[in-house]
Amino acid sequence: MTNDGEKMKKALCAVISLLSVLTILVFWYMISWKNPELMPTPVETLKQMFEMIVNPTGVSLFEHVAASFTRVFIAYFSATLAGVLIGVAFGWSEIFRDFVHPIFELLRPIPPIAWIPIIVIWFGIGEVSKIAIVFIGAFVPIVVNTYSGMMQMDPIYEKAGKVIGANRKEMLLEIVIPASFPHILAGMKTALSQSWACVIAAEMIVAQKGLGYLIVRSMESGNMGNILISIFFISGISALLSYLFNKLEAIICPW
Amino acid sequence: MKIKGKKRTIIRAVIGLSSFFLIWEMIVRLGIIPRNRMSPFTEVIATFIRKITDPTPDGATIIEHFLTSFSVAFSGFVVAALIGVPLGMMMGYNRYAKAYANTIFEILRPIPPIAWIPIIMLLLGIGTSAKIFIIFVAAVVPAVINSYTGIKRVPEVYINVGKSLGMSHFKIFTKICIPHALPAVFTGLRLSLNTAWVALVAAELLASTKGLGYMIQIGRVLAKPEIIITGMIVIGCSGAVMSGLLGLFEKRFAKWSRK
Repeated sequence: MTNDGEKMKKALCAVISLLSVLTILVFWYMISWKNPELMPTPVETLKQMFEMIVNPTGVSLFEHVAASFTRVFIAYFSATLAGVLIGVAFGWSEIFRDFVHPIFELLRPIPPIAWIPIIVIWFGIGEVSKIAIVFIGAFVPIVVNTYSGMMQMDPIYEKAGKVIGANRKEMLLEIVIPASFPHILAGMKTALSQSWACVIAAEMIVAQKGLGYLIVRSMESGNMGNILISIFFISGISALLSYLFNKLEAIICPW
Repeated sequence: MKIKGKKRTIIRAVIGLSSFFLIWEMIVRLGIIPRNRMSPFTEVIATFIRKITDPTPDGATIIEHFLTSFSVAFSGFVVAALIGVPLGMMMGYNRYAKAYANTIFEILRPIPPIAWIPIIMLLLGIGTSAKIFIIFVAAVVPAVINSYTGIKRVPEVYINVGKSLGMSHFKIFTKICIPHALPAVFTGLRLSLNTAWVALVAAELLASTKGLGYMIQIGRVLAKPEIIITGMIVIGCSGAVMSGLLGLFEKRFAKWSRK
């Protein structure tokens, strides 16, 4: 009997989940009925998306996606490299930490978006400025996590290393870095979603291509359909990236 | 002479920071980076002091900018906390509430807060209420998620103890689950506040006539790096101060959290 009750409850939950999706659609329809010239209905939006993919006019949707993606790719990988390096240096060298960590802490509270105006003054409105903004967004969490990973390492590993007679270089490469690897990965994960949000922000404020640019241009021309399509792609890619990252994490860091 | 421990760390920090400011100052003063791209550190300080009372060239004093930004960010944050925390807790406690809200949530969650700005601006305009709504949407997500996990992590044993003592669901929820979840809730609130502040700066960069985000944007348009950097510093400092204050608040209201 209890088993049946449990099953009923599960089924009820599934129905409720479905209802919640319906709620979103109902809300959406309500907004579009109230402002028909502003907000397309879900079906119209789907049609518009299909249209955009099949007969692109001007810069196609995929070019926008590709532009955003390239920026994130370049910035994310350079930020990972630089961030892990600096984070390890913070954790490993007391002198470096004492001198440089305060400067890092000083700059850290400034959100990446607030860097946009000065970076545009420095690097112009080309690719470099977008990459620099994404770089800042990704760099900070990687440094923070790498550093805290090294600090939280169980001292017993270090002692074990000493007992075996490892020198400093071996200690760093074979004990300390692998031990803090899960933390580094956690930082890289935060950094990945940060990068994606940053590239959208940067493109919204200064770009001629990319999903962020598409959103802002559609806002200026009042094309809500395009905004919704861009958001659909932005969140879809964001979800996909974090899904892929989790898969990758399970492969390269099973411990 | 050897200086040990903490003292040495402080001395090194001071040397590190002062060389940072010195190098910054010299790079601009020596013309390695031209003046229209970067301002020396001392000039930024001077600009900050001048901007406390002087509304030129961006139309408002730095205090007005700050208050504009702060009031919008804070209102949005408060609304997000008042709605998000109870919602997250309900999702954690009641499976039907979870089934309903979680699906909506999982659909909306991957959307970066900044991407909401255009939709909201088209629907509600660029007024204060539209901005508060943007902040709300950005800040509600971490509040819900962390309150939810906070309640989910209450050990089953505690709830069973409550049940065997004959406590009602309501009592179990308020006397056992909420206190246990409070540290997680505060973590969520800190994230919310952070997100709120960032989203606000983004909204102001895109469309506004006042506020710190507006100030740095105007600094770019007028090619006045001292205005931009002053604005950045104020944005960074206020963000740090706000999360510090929330940390103090947490210490008072959730003494049992951490350590």
